[in-house]
Amino acid sequence: MSTRSQLLKGILDGCVLAVIEKGPAYGYELSKKLQETGLNDVSEGTIYPVLLRLQKNGFIRGEMRPSDSGPNRKYYFLTDAGKQALQSIIEEWQQISSPVNELLKRRF
Amino acid sequence: MNAKQLIEENNKKRKLLTKENEKYYDDLLVYIRLHFTLSEQQTEEVLMEMLDHLIDGQKEGKTAKDIFGDDPLSYTDEIIEQLPKEDKRNIFQFVGGVIVNIISWVLIIRGIILLVFSQFTEVNNEINLLGVSVVSLAIGIFVIGNIWYMLKVTKKSLFNEKISLKTNMLKVGLVAAVSMAIVLAVARFTPEIGPSFSFDWWLSLLLGAILWLLHFIVKKKSRNA
Repeated sequence: MSTRSQLLKGILDGCVLAVIEKGPAYGYELSKKLQETGLNDVSEGTIYPVLLRLQKNGFIRGEMRPSDSGPNRKYYFLTDAGKQALQSIIEEWQQISSPVNELLKRRF
Repeated sequence: MNAKQLIEENNKKRKLLTKENEKYYDDLLVYIRLHFTLSEQQTEEVLMEMLDHLIDGQKEGKTAKDIFGDDPLSYTDEIIEQLPKEDKRNIFQFVGGVIVNIISWVLIIRGIILLVFSQFTEVNNEINLLGVSVVSLAIGIFVIGNIWYMLKVTKKSLFNEKISLKTNMLKVGLVAAVSMAIVLAVARFTPEIGPSFSFDWWLSLLLGAILWLLHFIVKKKSRNA
């Protein structure tokens, strides 16, 4: 695994929560949206263990619904606990990201 | 949708996969389903999501390897690690149901055999407590041990093109035959000491029928629930 995808794995929970916060999505849609943001390093399937873990923690819930293309899909919604979790991930990320940026930017 | 409906839909949708993708997905599906201490509903839901994803990706020319990575075994282990466990009550209900079903059939068949044979010859309808207990235990160990071995062999052969199905079947069959011989030997050589009681054919048949009926009703009820 590349360094980039390893770094991404640690923050993927937060990214998935952030995508779902913008609106309910099903697995395929979700991976598409992550890729559109530019996060195309992690293989698409990686989101499924993440989705299971987030469900187990009660941060998201799934619901079967008819999709735009017809068949039923499992759409994910953010729960209240999920909103709180996302909030604390955002805060923690902000605390880490600026010192890390500071440390690493000299290298360029 | 409940687990049963999801399984049926999965069976239909899998036909849409290309040969290469089907091989990858089938191994993944069997491997995950073999872990039957996991919640069946959650298992089938995630399997359906992955199948839908694969079918969508296929339309864009992606392969299962592109989507789920080229290390299916560790990917699948990651999924299994995150799946919630099945409710203990459901497992007990399932295992209990199987045991009751087997006992009821044993009693019914014993009743019929005794009835038929008693028409021609003197039959011994005595039951020795020690003998029955030892043989039941041996059969229990036989069944659990063989299922465990079969699962072990199957898990090992998934995601592995070098191990052929034929060798595996041979291995499983051989182990089953040897352990069956041990069970028969145990049954033959257990001494009939301690208390015995007579257990007539009609009582055997009646008890077996009642047990079977009970099992049938409970099963039907839990299915409709």
